[in-house]
Amino acid sequence: MSQATELRERIDDLALRIVLGSQESGVNMPAWVSALETIVACALQNGAAPVAAQASRILEDLKGDTGKAVDGAVLQEAMTALQQAMETQEGAPSAATQSLAQDPELLSDFVLESREHLANLETQLLILERDPHDSEALHSVFRSFHTIKGLAGFLELWEIQKLAHDVESVLDRARNSELTVTAAAIDVILASADYVRRWLNHLESGLQKRPSEAPARDEDLLCRVAGISSAESASAAPHTELGKLAAAVETSTESAAPASELPPKTTRLRETMAVKVNTAKLDYLVDMAGEMVIAQALVRHDPELGQIKTPRLQRNLAQLNRITAELQRTAMAMRLVPIGSLFRKMARPVRDLSRQFGKTVELKTEGDDIELDRTIAEELGDPLMHMVRNSLDHGIESPAERKAHGKSESAVLLLKAQHQAGQILVEISDDGRGLNREKIVAKAIEKGLIASGETLSDNEIYNLVFRPGFSTASQVTNVSGRGVGMDVVQLHISKLRGRIEIRSTPGQGASFVLKLPLTLAIIDGLVVGVGKERYIVPLFAIREMFRPREQTIWTVQERAEMALVRGSLLPVLRLYRKFGVKPRSEDPLQSVLVVAEVESQRFCLLVDELIGKQEVVIKSLGETFRDVTGLAGGAILGDGRVGLILDLDRLFMDKTGDAGR
Amino acid sequence: MSSILVTGNEQGTAVAADARTGKYLTFQLGNEEFGVRVLKVREIMGIQEITAVPQTPTHVKGVINLRGKVVPVIDLRLKFGLPPAEYTPRTCIIVTQTEGESGLILMGVIVDGVSEVLNLAASDIEDTPDFGEEVAVQYLLGMAKVKGKVKILLDIDRVLSAQDLNHLKTLLQ
Repeated sequence: MSQATELRERIDDLALRIVLGSQESGVNMPAWVSALETIVACALQNGAAPVAAQASRILEDLKGDTGKAVDGAVLQEAMTALQQAMETQEGAPSAATQSLAQDPELLSDFVLESREHLANLETQLLILERDPHDSEALHSVFRSFHTIKGLAGFLELWEIQKLAHDVESVLDRARNSELTVTAAAIDVILASADYVRRWLNHLESGLQKRPSEAPARDEDLLCRVAGISSAESASAAPHTELGKLAAAVETSTESAAPASELPPKTTRLRETMAVKVNTAKLDYLVDMAGEMVIAQALVRHDPELGQIKTPRLQRNLAQLNRITAELQRTAMAMRLVPIGSLFRKMARPVRDLSRQFGKTVELKTEGDDIELDRTIAEELGDPLMHMVRNSLDHGIESPAERKAHGKSESAVLLLKAQHQAGQILVEISDDGRGLNREKIVAKAIEKGLIASGETLSDNEIYNLVFRPGFSTASQVTNVSGRGVGMDVVQLHISKLRGRIEIRSTPGQGASFVLKLPLTLAIIDGLVVGVGKERYIVPLFAIREMFRPREQTIWTVQERAEMALVRGSLLPVLRLYRKFGVKPRSEDPLQSVLVVAEVESQRFCLLVDELIGKQEVVIKSLGETFRDVTGLAGGAILGDGRVGLILDLDRLFMDKTGDAGR
Repeated sequence: MSSILVTGNEQGTAVAADARTGKYLTFQLGNEEFGVRVLKVREIMGIQEITAVPQTPTHVKGVINLRGKVVPVIDLRLKFGLPPAEYTPRTCIIVTQTEGESGLILMGVIVDGVSEVLNLAASDIEDTPDFGEEVAVQYLLGMAKVKGKVKILLDIDRVLSAQDLNHLKTLLQ
């Protein structure tokens, strides 16, 4: 940049002199020519080709006109053009910086990829240090620098591009056996890698909006890089001597750097290595693994095979069983990602918002390495952001208020993930003021969600914030609770087959606990039989099941049926009626009642029998059955047949719809 | 591809006949012989246990497990309004692949039995005669005469996407 500024100054200076010169009688031709020549050289050196071209044109005019009287006006015009060219030249890089800043995604990809390359080339360089003739390592280092150069060029990061290009040229010569990679050279290349890394850090800081200074152009480093090739080529004749020297240096570095340092590097690299796989292929793999488990079960339980009692067969079958189960588990695990990256995404909004609200908030995370399904992780981003924002806006008090209540001025927002009973618990908790019962109740009454005389449990009151329309924008902040679009949050979460629970202590803080399934692809299901058909009821929604007695089921107006379960009357849905299946028996006393809970409301399903619990892989029924309500999908049961998974939400909605009619 | 075929069919040009040439899988349904393009057929399997899906038209028999995929199955007899028949060992499910709104859809079609694969030349294929309004000819690619027998060539994409095929009944009786 300093060179560009210098160029700019020179041009302006000359323009001034020409303007002054044309007014005065004495025209200082030689001075102008020399000034222009400097400008051309400077522009060329700076890569400002248009400026250089414009300047040389003026220069030619000047020289050609030596005999005649110099027309000041023409010269002035020419200089204006030159200044404009300079402006466009200066404008170009700044526009580029802007376009970069506008595409943080590309930039972060670049940072990510370059880091991988740097990690790779460091390992390879260390291998090269031990064996300078390891051409594979050399190629690998070359390729890494080449990629970095290319990407940097694409993103117009000229400093990185220039250095990477120089290093690449050196490596290219090494590849062509024009020079040997000495320990000194490796030092320089490693220093170059460090320089690139400093740039990456700077770029990343820029992405995270952290203040950071761009690394200064390291002329010394560039010279050293250039020095590698020149030194080598200059001393090409006494090559043997140098070779010996280099070998000596190499051995010394080798002994200096113990070999034990290498393995950890390699393993670290392995950990970060990943392959991008098309999700369709992954799903297919999961399908096939599931099929294999079923096929394996069919073979194992084959009656004819069962008659063979040889230990060898039994052992082999057991082995097959183990392997298929492991295969299925591995296939499933491929869909999982650690939740930490999701938590880390919250860091910036927390920072921004806490500043915006004038609050001091410390973000803590726990359980970053808990893994969950990729789809869930993606879908969870928005609701999580929403709750974090709510917490910062409504939950956490201003520093002054906190101080007045005897709390530390800095609030803590905790994002925590943990496994619990086959589910993942994600907790968003703060130590703010908690939810305000009275205000929520007042708001709910005002909105007509509850009658004024109703007595509600804490839980019921907190759940009011999930009701649509509870927080229709206007003055949500009047309610200290978290009104902003919590119904949307809940919708998101229930789409993921999860649930939200609110815990709140006035003055101590509130926490929102998300209970999510490990994966969307698998559910624990209860297989129930109705007539000849079998259905799968998602286990997470089941509260209890029992065989009804005579006093359990009551009819309401001869139409709707209610069951008396633990003192409360719950609507009953006879599944065979709903699905038009012929049941084994229409007598409820011969059937089983399954109590399910949907959106904190319970209802009963009447089925013929309980068959068992099974973990099933959910499969879409496809667009053919788009219009069918009450089914969430299909699943392959243990015997290879398809079982239908019930959509309890829809069943319940339809049920209540029936009762209303 | 189907759109080309259909336009050709409507106009009855020579190009259309060319587009219709190729290999067809023929099968029986009632007393008729039908043909579908081999390219549309994924596989043929014997009848197997089908899981019924509620709230569907009678011709939709339910779903089967095709190597880990849940595939819907329709009974072509019922779809065409023919009387239902007992499933026999000859009864087959032809798994077809058709263009759906979101990519390829696999769909099983129950037929009375599959016959053979025919290679039909342009001269074998004739345009569907005009049966009047009672027969919905848009589901037909044409008629093929092979060894003195007539085979009805189905545009399976259209057959499976169509909601109601009762019009075809008239043709079949």
